[in-house]
Amino acid sequence: MITFNYLDLLHLVMPEVIVVIAALCVLSVDLIFLRGAGTRLRISVGAMLSLAGCAAAIVWILRAAQFASVLDGMLVVNPLAQRMQIAVLVLTILTILIFIGSTFTEHISEYLALILLATVSMMFLVTTQNLLVIFLSLELLSLSLYILTAFNKSSARSAEAALKYFLFGGISAAFLLFGFSLLYGLSNSTNLSSVAGSIQRPFLDPLLIVAIVMTMVGLGFKVAAVPFHFWAPDVYQGAPAPSAALIASASKVASFFILYQVMVIGLADAEGSSAWRGYVSGWVPLAAIVASVSMVLGNLVAILQTSVRRLLAYSAVAHAGYMLLGILSHTGQSLSALLYYSITYALTVLGAFGVVALVEGETGGDRLSDFAGLSRRAPLPSLCMLIFLLSLAGIPPLAGFFGKFYLFTTVMTSTPGTLGLLWLVILAVAMSAVSLYYYLKVLKFIYVTDPPTGAAPIRVSILKQVVLGLIALSVVLLGCAPNLLLRWL
Amino acid sequence: MTWIVRNLWLIPAFPALAAGLSALAKQRNRRMAASLAIGSMGLSFLLSLVAFVHVVRSGGHGETAKEVFNFPWFQYGGEWLKLGWMLDPLTAVMLVMVSFVGLLIFIYSTGYMSHDENFTRFFCFLSLFAAAMLGVVIANSLLLLFMCWELVGLTSYLLIGFWFHKPEAAAAAKKAFITTRIGDLAFLVGMVWLYSQTGSLLFYDQGSGCLEHSALAGLVAQTTCIGMAASTGIALLIFAGAVGKSGQVPLHVWLPDAMEGPTPVSALIHAATMVAAGVFLVARVYPLMAAHDGISLSSTSTTALQVVTWIGAITAVFAALIAVAQDDIKRILAYSTISQLGYMMIGLGVGGVAVGMFHLITHAFFKALLFLGAGSVIHGCHEEQDIRCMGGLKRFMPITFATYAVGMLALCGFPLFFSGFWSKDAILHAAQLWTISRVPFYLATFGALLTAFYMTRQMYYVFFGESRLARKRDSSHIADFGHHEHGITASVHESPAVMTMPLAILAMFAVLLGVIGTPAWPWFDSFLNGESATLHAAGFLEGGVLPVMILSSIVVFAGLGLGWWFYGSSPITSAESADALERLQPQVFRILRNKFYVDEIYDATFIRFNAWLSHVSDWFDRWVWNGAVWTVSHIVLGLSWLARSTDTYVVNPGFDEGCNAVTVGGRLLGRLQNGRTQNYLRLVGVAFAVLVAFLIWSGVR
Repeated sequence: MITFNYLDLLHLVMPEVIVVIAALCVLSVDLIFLRGAGTRLRISVGAMLSLAGCAAAIVWILRAAQFASVLDGMLVVNPLAQRMQIAVLVLTILTILIFIGSTFTEHISEYLALILLATVSMMFLVTTQNLLVIFLSLELLSLSLYILTAFNKSSARSAEAALKYFLFGGISAAFLLFGFSLLYGLSNSTNLSSVAGSIQRPFLDPLLIVAIVMTMVGLGFKVAAVPFHFWAPDVYQGAPAPSAALIASASKVASFFILYQVMVIGLADAEGSSAWRGYVSGWVPLAAIVASVSMVLGNLVAILQTSVRRLLAYSAVAHAGYMLLGILSHTGQSLSALLYYSITYALTVLGAFGVVALVEGETGGDRLSDFAGLSRRAPLPSLCMLIFLLSLAGIPPLAGFFGKFYLFTTVMTSTPGTLGLLWLVILAVAMSAVSLYYYLKVLKFIYVTDPPTGAAPIRVSILKQVVLGLIALSVVLLGCAPNLLLRWL
Repeated sequence: MTWIVRNLWLIPAFPALAAGLSALAKQRNRRMAASLAIGSMGLSFLLSLVAFVHVVRSGGHGETAKEVFNFPWFQYGGEWLKLGWMLDPLTAVMLVMVSFVGLLIFIYSTGYMSHDENFTRFFCFLSLFAAAMLGVVIANSLLLLFMCWELVGLTSYLLIGFWFHKPEAAAAAKKAFITTRIGDLAFLVGMVWLYSQTGSLLFYDQGSGCLEHSALAGLVAQTTCIGMAASTGIALLIFAGAVGKSGQVPLHVWLPDAMEGPTPVSALIHAATMVAAGVFLVARVYPLMAAHDGISLSSTSTTALQVVTWIGAITAVFAALIAVAQDDIKRILAYSTISQLGYMMIGLGVGGVAVGMFHLITHAFFKALLFLGAGSVIHGCHEEQDIRCMGGLKRFMPITFATYAVGMLALCGFPLFFSGFWSKDAILHAAQLWTISRVPFYLATFGALLTAFYMTRQMYYVFFGESRLARKRDSSHIADFGHHEHGITASVHESPAVMTMPLAILAMFAVLLGVIGTPAWPWFDSFLNGESATLHAAGFLEGGVLPVMILSSIVVFAGLGLGWWFYGSSPITSAESADALERLQPQVFRILRNKFYVDEIYDATFIRFNAWLSHVSDWFDRWVWNGAVWTVSHIVLGLSWLARSTDTYVVNPGFDEGCNAVTVGGRLLGRLQNGRTQNYLRLVGVAFAVLVAFLIWSGVR
């Protein structure tokens, strides 16, 4: 029996504890003291408390770098994981800032508390290398996100999306749990590194293949890769904007991180190869198939969308395809390329949802025609949207360009001496060219099309302008000086 | 490392910030844009002075005089791409020159552009230009230099085409952009080649930079296809970039046309700074140009430097010849600029960095002076640019006349008192000592004669004799201009103080700068070479300096005398009367006036070929590629039609069937989503099965 000091454990999970306490504070302050207060005040107080909690957690993490791996990999704290926690917390902060000023719900403290709980689960997710804790954190995350999706009670869309999300998530969780249990059965361990140690075989055994594919189904659901993406368009469209933003940003970053951990650490000797004329069965070809289908389908279907949120959803599917390339190349640089890509992508998409929320607040919809002439009605948000969409399309000098460049370079150099993965890179580049079309379509509505007659300028609060401007600025800055972020990864 | 070296980036950052802010400003914020631009330039100038003083005081020797600051930009694969900036005497001198001349021209522009409605945009572009140019100067990485170089080209394009509503201005802007692009392409290829050979684009990086000994030794040792050292090939490609930017033959055609831009732009960009960037580039990569293995070469001159010298010499005479027969006040100066840039190239080729750079610095001052003077003349004469229609302006514009005369004498190289004399003399002296050939020396001397001649011609046309301004107007535009002679002559006026002050300051420098580069006290030379200068009067008598000085003085006097004989002895009376030279040699004059028909030759060859090629491409695009795209798009349309029909007639009825049989909860769901979620989930199951089957099948195979 391992003897263990629980005080040390508490010390290691202190950031998570801080965020949980913040969530409880938000709930109790709102329910005890502010029952009769106005919505604006309640949002301000709740948001301030939540932001303070997140900020305190970040400060705590920054205080000291720690190395620890306890309880059979259930809690693995190292500088990289800590930085991922910071990334998640920063994205949460931005999500909360976007939430301020929303009017879709009366249950403010519950909403904020759920966001914080989702954050806690993501923080656990990035600091574990144990199958059991991975599953638990994913479930906690998913359950919070289901509720967040359903939160707009006045909208049938919101409820429908949440139900779909829930059903889909339930099935995926079942797949994931089944896959994990098979891995456990094969290796007699739930620690990723021991799993990798015990599944070494000369050739893949069918049971292991089933386990790999099941894991891929479960995690593919989280990252919205084809063919496990069906929930994404409905959820992106139906969920309240801050919820959709959280699902698209922080949850994506954490999920990709854990997908990388599971595949690269846990299935280290079952990778196979998807190189041209060098095919070997394993999880890499599986990821290659999923990635290429995602890129093709995501980009092509996005062209047809007339709702900006659905467009962003399909673009998210396409981006998941690009990011899977980073996982399947799994060289020394891959992780930093993947994380740079996912973090900058998350920032960008968060900003885009901020603008979408703004337009919805004014016009009541997110159809392309609702964006007509936005540049005349709200110049600054339009400029930010321009930066976000061009970054998503990968136009230099924005962060999206450098992310793609770095990612594709690592894929190219992952098979030294041969051009084995060139076909994937060519596909990815061709598909990014396609993507420019639909991003520009949105921009055309914003900048070229005339606003509807009699449309007044949109009043945008200073806070929202500052938040959007900051996100846009960081997208430009990270693109011009990628080293600002890269040296942390 | 001192504060100034670490923060050298601030010098270009200030104008860049000003450009960004005025880009956001509204059109009517004229004062703000002007004061931002001038203020930022003033700050840059002060910082440049600090940097200059720092370099002078540190008084480093040779290589140690270079202080660099490098930083990693980003990593790709296993390699870090680094950028950086450097401070050495070359940088320091250029910084002070660019920011000082820039500052004066900014101030001048507030007067010159005061009536223009796009005043704000003008200062935005000017500031952006200044930022990019200062970036070129401080770059310690060929890549950073190239980026700023392109930015400079972009702003040049924007400013030449500033009055884009004039078709000539728009065409000139395009011409400038495209012509310099040809040189830049070679520059880019050279840069990529250099990177693939040395693995670094930093100039100096503690022994591993591409201009340092180990890299150069490797480049020299490598021979390429036609027995040329890699260093020579790269140097020539980079020089091609300089040829484009500095308007050397055969890429000089854009610079005269660039005079369509506002005059301050011509002064700043197309006389003092940007066109000199090519010369600066050659000076910056001089170690590469001069790299040789020390065995196979008998003399010190490498192939690359010989090419530089010959191109420079040909350009110097070629452009001076054309200048003799031009009538537009600014075009004469433009050809003169091309010719002087040729001198700088000769100086670099035969005498090294210091000789070429000294002429660059002195030329920047007196040519900016001449252009601003020309601007003042144009401004005073109500946008008249044809010298045949001017005349007699001495009376109306005394300050402009006096300063212009100083600039003209400096450009001609009037002995002893003007900076141009000393810098040109240094070039002639070095050319005379060149062991490869004496021809560049003769060409340069002939060019000096021409320079004195065409400047005298211009002076007589513009400032002496009687005013012909009204007569031309009246004879050609009687209908448009109702007023008679008195009206126009009386309205010719001296420019405001904001324009004449910069002229006076520049004139002062056009005289004084000569002091720092005389043979007796070659401070500039020693400074660039990292030595300390000593005053010794005997410098005049050593190494054949005196004969060259005497020769060049005689040549200048001969040119001035010829000019007087042709144009001064019998006053020019009418704008229509033929040029004195034209009466003497009509054929030659016509060829010169038409600029040796270079534009026409290019039209008949490259441009016609290009037009033909674009016709062919257009045909291919229309019929071949478009056809292919059309076919593919119709196939896709057909497929999507098929998919939709399947969906409508096959899949949907299936779900309807299924929906009828489910339980209450299912019916609720069915109402919500038409049963599609089940379908999704089924698809996940199918995907799972297919993927497993595929992996197992391919694993067993």
